[in-house]
Amino acid sequence: MTLQIALALAVFVGAYVLIATEKVPRATVALGAAAAMLLIGATDDHGIFFSESTGIDWNVIFLLLGMMMIVGILRQSGAFEFVAIWAAKRARGRPFVVMVMLILITAVISALLDNVTTVLLVAPVTLLICSRLAVPPAPFLIVEVMASNIGGTATLIGDPPNIIIASRAGLTFTDFVVNVLPIVAVLLVVFVGMAWLLFRKELVYDADRARRVMALNEREAIRDIPLLAKSLGVIALVLAGFVLQSRIHLEPAEVALLGAGLLVILTRLEPRTIFADVEWETLLFFAGLFVMVGGLVNLGIIDRIGRSVAGAVGGNYPAAAVGLLVGSAVISGVIDNIPYVATMAPLVQGLVEAGGHAAQPLWWALTLGADLGGNATAVGASANVVVLGIARRYGHPISFWTFTRYGLLVTGTTIALTIPYLLLRYF
Amino acid sequence: MHASDLETTLPLVDRGTPVLDAARMIAGERLPVLVITDDKGRPAAVISAVDVLGLLIPSYLRDDTSLSGVLDENGSDEVWAEARGHTVGELLDDEGVDVHDLLTVEPDATLVEVATLMAAARASVALVTGGPPRFVTLPALTDAILRLSDRSSGDDA
Repeated sequence: MTLQIALALAVFVGAYVLIATEKVPRATVALGAAAAMLLIGATDDHGIFFSESTGIDWNVIFLLLGMMMIVGILRQSGAFEFVAIWAAKRARGRPFVVMVMLILITAVISALLDNVTTVLLVAPVTLLICSRLAVPPAPFLIVEVMASNIGGTATLIGDPPNIIIASRAGLTFTDFVVNVLPIVAVLLVVFVGMAWLLFRKELVYDADRARRVMALNEREAIRDIPLLAKSLGVIALVLAGFVLQSRIHLEPAEVALLGAGLLVILTRLEPRTIFADVEWETLLFFAGLFVMVGGLVNLGIIDRIGRSVAGAVGGNYPAAAVGLLVGSAVISGVIDNIPYVATMAPLVQGLVEAGGHAAQPLWWALTLGADLGGNATAVGASANVVVLGIARRYGHPISFWTFTRYGLLVTGTTIALTIPYLLLRYF
Repeated sequence: MHASDLETTLPLVDRGTPVLDAARMIAGERLPVLVITDDKGRPAAVISAVDVLGLLIPSYLRDDTSLSGVLDENGSDEVWAEARGHTVGELLDDEGVDVHDLLTVEPDATLVEVATLMAAARASVALVTGGPPRFVTLPALTDAILRLSDRSSGDDA
């Protein structure tokens, strides 16, 4: 092992430790690690900015940017609040039915938006409904964030790791819908059953409180009808663009940016509003990660590990898929799944290139393991951390262990159900 | 004219003060800010009346203002009822609330000095150091500035 490789590995491990312990802002860590990779000669300016395999993946960055802009504009309309209150009224204020409605709404929204945005949208209206029903909001918040993590697994844009995987593997929006959506639908049905088993005792129906939900006027939540119409129209176009991606020959990032640009022109909102939901820190975090992992690829470290793993796997891809699924779930339950997938993607890419069609399901194993594993602990996904913070601020704290107890149960069940899906469908 | 010439007393609240009592002080005395004391009863921080207003409203409505319209009259009444039991301490702990350190000025600070310090710190109130807690407030300060300005205009004429 050369000194350069030893230094690169030290930078990588150090960055992972710092990201996992959250002692330093994660964007700072990733950018610092990227700078260190540059200083030790593991990458260069061309590698950072122009290499598709070892540099910043602009498709990922600009897809996220475009979607953040679209969401930032859409959330001004009050559409999400309208749907949530409408659903609670359709449930006639029966707490468990309301919970099921919110689970499904959260999962669907999460398939189209990122998970943190989804829970930030759903949490306030959940608190309002729970306050009307006089039921504890903590179970609702817990199932919503888990539904968000499950629902986000279903599409290319639902969870940032999926965007990385799609970009690396050349997978389309439709590939995700065809391969991941079916199992996610099954998992959601099972999850609803688990929610009933876990929380039914806390969800007591009170006819008087139900009337207070029925008294809510969801139409008042819509703040700007023209804005809502324009936003929904553009989102429909963007989704059509994703689905028809291979026919119109546009990358997902191009579709998202065209949609965001169209919405900016149609709504003529202030730049401050348009960019309000753009998480620049997250985008820089991604950029730093790509450079850091690209350094390892440039030095041949990922290739060496890939060859060792390929040797160990042999041709036994079913076992490899199960191992990758379970291993990804375990690791993603403990550390952020974004750096994990950013590191694993080139590794899996190597395995798939070596194994051909038979190894292709490894991408789905990585996707499902990394995304579903986020439910395992309170720190398994950014959305979990956000929800725990919201719950504390709203005066209904959820402890780490309370969340993790439910999370381990849900993750164990969803992963256990995913194993036969992968084996029966692909092998 | 010096800070000591403008000083006045203000009601003080601590972490345990019920938020409805704090709101009553603001309404009764038309206060733009509330001065909060530390564990030893010394003035330590300042929060704006608007932030106190925010604590009367549930956090979920502050986070998502579009929800405020969906409540009917009965629902709105229940919102005010929910404010009962909240304390000023909760306001201090809320990440969304700006709690400002209390600006201090010397008793012999000139009017220009006090005005400059308060403008720079964007402070509506400043604690005059030494002795029992007394404050220079923004209305008293602007009133004094205007009186001096009017007088100098008269002298010029």
